Amino acid sequence: MVRKKRKGKRRKTGRRSRSRSRRSRFPWGKLLFSLVLVVGAYVAFLDFQVYRQFEGSRWSLPARVYARPLELYAGLRLTPEQFAAELKALGYRRVGTARRAGEVSRDGRRFQLISRPFVFWDGPEPSRALRVTFSATHVDALQNDRNGETLALARLDPLAIGSIHTSHQEDRILLRLDEVPDILVQALIAVEDRSFYSHSGVSPRSIARAFWINLRSGRVVQGGSTLTQQLVKNFFLSNQRSLTRKINEAIMALLLERRYSKDDILEAYLNEVYLAQDGRRAIHGFGLGSRFFFQRPPDELSIAQIALLVGMVKGPSWYDPRRHPERALERRNLVLQVMFDQGLITRAQFQKSRNERLGLVQAAAGTSKTFPAFLDLVRRQLRRDYNESDLVSEGLRIFTTLDPQQQWALQKSLDQRIRPLLKQQPELQGAGLVTSSTNGEVLALVGGRQAGFAGFNRALDSKRHVGSLIKPAVYLTALEQAGRYNLATLLDDEPLEFEDAGEVWRPHNYDRKFHGQVMLYQALAHSYNVATARLGLQLGVDRVLQTLRRLAIDEPLNRYPSLFLGATDLSALDVTRMYMNFASGGFHIPLRAIREVLDSDHVPLQRYELSIERVIDPAPAYLLTRALQLVVAEGTARALNRRFAPELGLAGKTGTTNDLRDSWYAGYDGGKLAVIWMGRDDNQPMGLTGASGAMQVWSGLFRATGAVPLQPGKPDKVVWRQVDTASGGLADNGCANTVQLPFIETGTMPAAAPCAKAAPSGWLPKWLQ
Amino acid sequence: MKRLTLVLITLLSACSSAPQRPMPPVIDGSHAGTPGEPASAPVPAAPERVEMPPTVARGGAVVALLDRADDYRRAGDSSNEAATIERALRIEPRNARLWHRLAAVRLAQGQSQQAEQLALKSNSLSGNDTRLQASNWRLVARARWSMDDSAGAREAEQRASQLE
Repeated sequence: MVRKKRKGKRRKTGRRSRSRSRRSRFPWGKLLFSLVLVVGAYVAFLDFQVYRQFEGSRWSLPARVYARPLELYAGLRLTPEQFAAELKALGYRRVGTARRAGEVSRDGRRFQLISRPFVFWDGPEPSRALRVTFSATHVDALQNDRNGETLALARLDPLAIGSIHTSHQEDRILLRLDEVPDILVQALIAVEDRSFYSHSGVSPRSIARAFWINLRSGRVVQGGSTLTQQLVKNFFLSNQRSLTRKINEAIMALLLERRYSKDDILEAYLNEVYLAQDGRRAIHGFGLGSRFFFQRPPDELSIAQIALLVGMVKGPSWYDPRRHPERALERRNLVLQVMFDQGLITRAQFQKSRNERLGLVQAAAGTSKTFPAFLDLVRRQLRRDYNESDLVSEGLRIFTTLDPQQQWALQKSLDQRIRPLLKQQPELQGAGLVTSSTNGEVLALVGGRQAGFAGFNRALDSKRHVGSLIKPAVYLTALEQAGRYNLATLLDDEPLEFEDAGEVWRPHNYDRKFHGQVMLYQALAHSYNVATARLGLQLGVDRVLQTLRRLAIDEPLNRYPSLFLGATDLSALDVTRMYMNFASGGFHIPLRAIREVLDSDHVPLQRYELSIERVIDPAPAYLLTRALQLVVAEGTARALNRRFAPELGLAGKTGTTNDLRDSWYAGYDGGKLAVIWMGRDDNQPMGLTGASGAMQVWSGLFRATGAVPLQPGKPDKVVWRQVDTASGGLADNGCANTVQLPFIETGTMPAAAPCAKAAPSGWLPKWLQ
Repeated sequence: MKRLTLVLITLLSACSSAPQRPMPPVIDGSHAGTPGEPASAPVPAAPERVEMPPTVARGGAVVALLDRADDYRRAGDSSNEAATIERALRIEPRNARLWHRLAAVRLAQGQSQQAEQLALKSNSLSGNDTRLQASNWRLVARARWSMDDSAGAREAEQRASQLE
């Protein structure tokens, strides 16, 4: 903006000087004097401009956003295939023997790689030679590949997942000259400006040659611009072709050369040069260009790749290798020819490079298109704490919580569930979130069935009836009254009529049956609506609402009893907040998508710290998790037992809304919580239950990333008892069908079951209690 | 003892969840035979082999990070010390000592409320480690004193003494 204003002023000045020379006719001396004065002042002005622009911060840099870095250590749950996929995304190259940073060799389950150096919040992580050996599902050993010594921990460079920029903004990754390979610089000079080191800003010989060629062909086919002039043109001037601009360009080039060294100019050029367009984002500089096309830093480029980038300087859209691969290939080989002719590369290198493929990565890699829904969440968190202008200009480095492994697994699992149904249900959509129940970090987020498509972010913004997902709040409210309720308390699942605000409410069960007397945990496990409604009415809407508020649900909620059955609108994010309290053992943990923000010099500006707050007493929290484990063990989610070992103790809850409009599943293991939604944007039925839709997605996700056992620590006040499933009474060896349930010692206890012989203290011998 | 109980419980719950008794009809379950819904995703008849926790100890990584956290503490850099412990917690989320350590850093930083909460979390994972529980309660007491909650502080001190 500021730059533009100055340009306007300058142009005005130029016009005034021209018109004055036309008007005054005879006092030649005066005229000459004032002309010299004006030109002198003008040159001084340009000089000042060159100085100001070049000395200050030259570019406004968009904030760059990174995924979590992969931390490698023995025992990490990661398959060799997942590791290979992550290295590929990071742009590591498969080679026979890894010799340079960014190279990896693989022999079955053994990887040898040279990691890239990277500066994190706690300082630089050096490049290291690593040997990583896997079992089928875990990292078995991590060693220094040079001496075989065991390494405790190694951190890879993080995946860049986007940048935060305004529309039509330039984006770049700044490089120091010493970070740019010599061969790239030499090739650039050989192709663009051979006399760069000898001219003083403009090269009359080049101009003459260009003039001659242009004259012969009758149009402008060649520019005689030096690198300095090109830099001036891009850096200070507008894009129009006019004589005034040409003159300004030449003067400023001379001024720039007078003030600054060749290396300074070269470094600025390498960072300034325009190389590609990515939607509304302009890709500038070899640092970003190299990442944009090859997903690696410039010092890891092959000769052929360097030649391609250098060749593109002449016409980034004309030679765009993604849109015009043949044209780009031809141009690249021409540059290789020049490099060979100039003695920059050997004949062997020339021939090998000429036969190389373009080797481009997909356009979406490392750009904001990769994980748009997650980036959306990051932006929302950032906007609370930062000015938009700082985000797009200060070169901040944002370290997020995104775990690419979880993200890919979630995308894949959702896609696998939805794709086969699209023929019958073309409107079917889905969304989901994966979070760490340890620290509230959002590991993955999908906002729609096309994960790479930025649009309506259903995980955050689609508020839908949650159905049975709300029920744990009802049951928790009950379990917190230990004097009245326990997991074996008998509830009445018989026809219920309730008049509320003049309307008669007759809840029914999904199977259209009534189940008589059921234990409290059974009513939750099988998601009986009538028993739940009755329990809710005993507790009162207000109490349940209070519980929901305490569980971090801040959304407006239905204030009528139909709330108990989930007739209230929440997003997957809201549901995640609620279930986080259960998955963490009763602690409220604010969700975080960002770990740290660093400034452009790697100095931490802000850290989003882990914070927790106990909102459910340990004992009822423990009881509720047991009940949710029984949902999987014997309730509506029991199909999961076909894919997961019962010892994992997975917990979760299905949710299905009227006429199959919404399919929900919220479930957790010992480390993660995932909430999945499937449905249609127009809220029409789509034929899936919680178990047949969302739960399958959850299952695929946890199969891919590995479930860990859920073993909540037993609070002191809690005792385990064997309960007769038929009567809900305390059981002993005489009872055939029993279930093991935890009770709060000081609370209400069931009476002895009819099948029990005589064991009032329960089934477990005293020494075990 | 606790481990034995856990093993028993696991065994028992495994038994009790085996199909010994007729299952009540499933509601909103995949068995409900939803109209228009093709058979749910192909599932093998028997549970697939399920991985259990790795046999390789991760201790090395956490020890290395704790060493680094010590360096930060000696340098008086509590912010990086806390961040390093958080890093360790991502590797061993159920390590009660890490939670205790983080609580201690928060207390030193003057974040009494967080210190208290983190100490409670540590206790919830501490199993039979009464010494750790006692030091968590001591920490809770100190945090409560600094928040002028003298009744709560005394209660915490009492719990600590009971454990010592």
